Amino acid sequence: MSTTAVAQRLQSIWETPKSVWGWFATVDHKEIGIRYLVTAFLFMCVAGVEALIVRVQLARPDQALMSPEMYDQLFSMHGITMIFWYASPILSGFSNYLIPLMIGSRDMAYPRLNAFTYWSFLFSGILVYVAPFMGQAPHAGWFSYVPYTLYSYSPSRGMDFYAMALILFTISITAGGINFITTILKMRAPGMSINKMPLMCYSTMTMSFVGLFGMPALTAACIFLELDRRWGTHFFSPAAGGNPILWQQLFWFFGHPWVYIVFLPATAIVSMIIPVFSRRPIVGYSYVAVSTMLTGAVGFSVWMHHMFTDGMSDMTMSFFSAGSMMISIFTIVQIICWVVTMWKGRVVMTTAMYYALGTIAALVVGGLNGVVTGIIPLDWQAHNTYFIVGHIHYVLIGSNMFPVFAGLYYWYPKMTGRKLSETLGKWSFWIMFIGFNVGFFPMQIVGLLGMPRRIYTYPAGLGWSASNMIETVGAFALGIGILLSIINFVYSRRFGQIAGKNPWNADTLEWDLDSPPEPYSMVHLPTVITRHPLWDNHDESADPNDERILDNGRLTYITTWLDAKVVSIAKMPEETIAPMLLALTMALCLLALCFQLVYWACGGFGATLLVAFYWLWPREKGEEAL
Amino acid sequence: MTTNTIAPNRGSKFIPTALPLDDTRGIWAMWMVVATEAALFVCLFGAYFYLENNKDRWTYNTPPAEHWGWGMLGALIVSGFTIWLGDRAVIRQAYLRARALLACTLLLGLGFLIMEGFDYASHWATLTPYSNSYGSIFYTIESFDALHVIVGVLILGYVLAMPRYAPARRAPYRPYRVAAIYWYFVVIVWIAIFFLLYVMPNLRIYGF
Ligand code: HEM
Repeated sequence: MSTTAVAQRLQSIWETPKSVWGWFATVDHKEIGIRYLVTAFLFMCVAGVEALIVRVQLARPDQALMSPEMYDQLFSMHGITMIFWYASPILSGFSNYLIPLMIGSRDMAYPRLNAFTYWSFLFSGILVYVAPFMGQAPHAGWFSYVPYTLYSYSPSRGMDFYAMALILFTISITAGGINFITTILKMRAPGMSINKMPLMCYSTMTMSFVGLFGMPALTAACIFLELDRRWGTHFFSPAAGGNPILWQQLFWFFGHPWVYIVFLPATAIVSMIIPVFSRRPIVGYSYVAVSTMLTGAVGFSVWMHHMFTDGMSDMTMSFFSAGSMMISIFTIVQIICWVVTMWKGRVVMTTAMYYALGTIAALVVGGLNGVVTGIIPLDWQAHNTYFIVGHIHYVLIGSNMFPVFAGLYYWYPKMTGRKLSETLGKWSFWIMFIGFNVGFFPMQIVGLLGMPRRIYTYPAGLGWSASNMIETVGAFALGIGILLSIINFVYSRRFGQIAGKNPWNADTLEWDLDSPPEPYSMVHLPTVITRHPLWDNHDESADPNDERILDNGRLTYITTWLDAKVVSIAKMPEETIAPMLLALTMALCLLALCFQLVYWACGGFGATLLVAFYWLWPREKGEEAL
Repeated sequence: MTTNTIAPNRGSKFIPTALPLDDTRGIWAMWMVVATEAALFVCLFGAYFYLENNKDRWTYNTPPAEHWGWGMLGALIVSGFTIWLGDRAVIRQAYLRARALLACTLLLGLGFLIMEGFDYASHWATLTPYSNSYGSIFYTIESFDALHVIVGVLILGYVLAMPRYAPARRAPYRPYRVAAIYWYFVVIVWIAIFFLLYVMPNLRIYGF
């Protein structure tokens, strides 16, 4: 068969029907990955606007643009949206889109589950954004400490929505993690043994495992919260033997590993980009891989550093302080590997590389002030001040937002077929970078001067006013920088330079495909013999006898997890609307629970089960193929 | 760098017929579901002991009555065996036997739920979820377990209703094995709950 005939055949097998039904039913990882990226980016824009309103309120002392309650809701929604519905999903978007292409597979291991994770992520986000229209948004910060969040202090439904939306969200993240783990361990191209897979796989796998063991703590905490709020139990009320600190323990047992979920895949983006633009393999591949995994593991033993001011034994304090210091070592290892890679290579300064360098700069600052906060006497002073707000933004913007932008500039050509404008990109970078530093560096100073976080205003004459004005100006500059990039995304979609297959001369397999890739990704499933498939002289898709086409249905290889020998062939499912329905019925069930509508909730649960059974029921159609 | 090629897969031109069809992904997924569910129960147990911490002889004075618990334990352990035998029967292609054993497992699961109802009733006289934090966590753990058994029973019922167990060429590939893994988990969770929430407090009476 000629290649075009094969390609046409594959196209007809893998293509999603272009109809409304197909739009809702698609299971294509590329489509889902892009949806993840776009949705999470929109959440980021909403949360960014919320933050800017917060900054306007704080710009001058004694301002009263809004009520204190309004302020609480705004900064809470800002934190919740950024942490949950932007920072992690956007990375899932990258991983969803890229991992199968990087490892030479035609889809994720569970395509339908993949669709489900997207829909449940979307619906959980909608659920939390419904709350403001039902009277009140969550208003207790992103970690919602009890007792303030119990019924007596927060009687309206905002906190119920918080708890229920997060339960759906944990389901989404867990399902996504299961999918990534199986994909990475079972679907790698023949020959891509575990020590040859791209670093992105290590970080995605680590964050998936962390999710598997970390998310249940959040689920348990949210369930306890809801039971205490509405169903009369006593988990958190000391009068009846409960303990409010239980919330903190559970939340941070989830919360600190979560920090690594939003951090590790982002560092992996940097680890993918820096070698390409230093024109050499990364220095210390194994060190980066191992420190990634260790970060994930040790990340489970630092959670109490969020609670130093609660009071605890010296032993506990020392343990968690030491744990927090130790974890910085693994990050330092990664940073050193990046720097040495650049040092030993020949650096090409593209926009993506600018963002990667911005990451390193911000991460070092954020990391350093993180380490000092791990020192207990300092933490006692800095806790709950703007020093912490400065710290989290240095790490979150530094090690999540900048890498995300680096990733967008780097992979946009692959996703759309056109390059982003480099000039506009560099402008955007510099404005973002300067705005970010102007906006957040002074926070650390006012924090040390004693300005507490989460206050809606402050009197003049405390020495905070000038810094706060500067912070607001910086925040708006950051916003303008982001806006420039958004303009770039829209503009280059139509007018960008045509990218071709491999505009950056990069080394990983996704750059061997068309931009954007066909629904079937590749005609010949690739084989791999080194870590840098496109930089060695082995032809990945060489297949003279057409043995690796697999065009008898939606098929791809299953390989052994360690050394990637082909053991079997996986059959991939067709489009189905069941994942979306399942996410919808779950969301409705949880929505009913927000209002304590027991019968409706039971109805929703029943509907969820029915959809699940419909999803899993064996069907004869398609049995004959293969 | 060397250029060596990957040996063609089993030398066949038409790979699909030479390689088996993958039927392991569902099993992997279920193992991971079990792992994360286990983590959930660890959190619940953690909360139980955390709440007990610093309390004045929390459950020591009135440990929960165990008698129904023993019955439930027996039922579940037997059911673990029946489904294990059933899974072996599927492998040996004795599908009728597998179905019968699955039905037994399902009945034992239902028996467990009925006994759990009586167990609830026996505690309810002296303790409710609203009495104190002990009642709250005790009933929450119990109800979570009940929920898992209910879901387990539904899964078993679903597999029982499936038309055939012979190797499939389309998902779900090995529903019986997947259901069995979940059921083993349900059994183990009850063993843990029974030991931690029933047996240990009762044993501790003798410590004082
Ligand atoms: C557009 C740029 C941003 C600005 C101007 C901004 C501004 C702020 C400000 C002023 C606060 C403190 C509110 C208070 O304590 O009263 C805050 C809190 C917070 N921000 Fe941002 N932020 C931005 C981006 C981000 C990003 C990208 C993330 C995460 C990925 C993030 C996560 C958080 C979190 C978790 C909090 C804590 C909320 C709480 O106290 O519960 N922010 N932000």
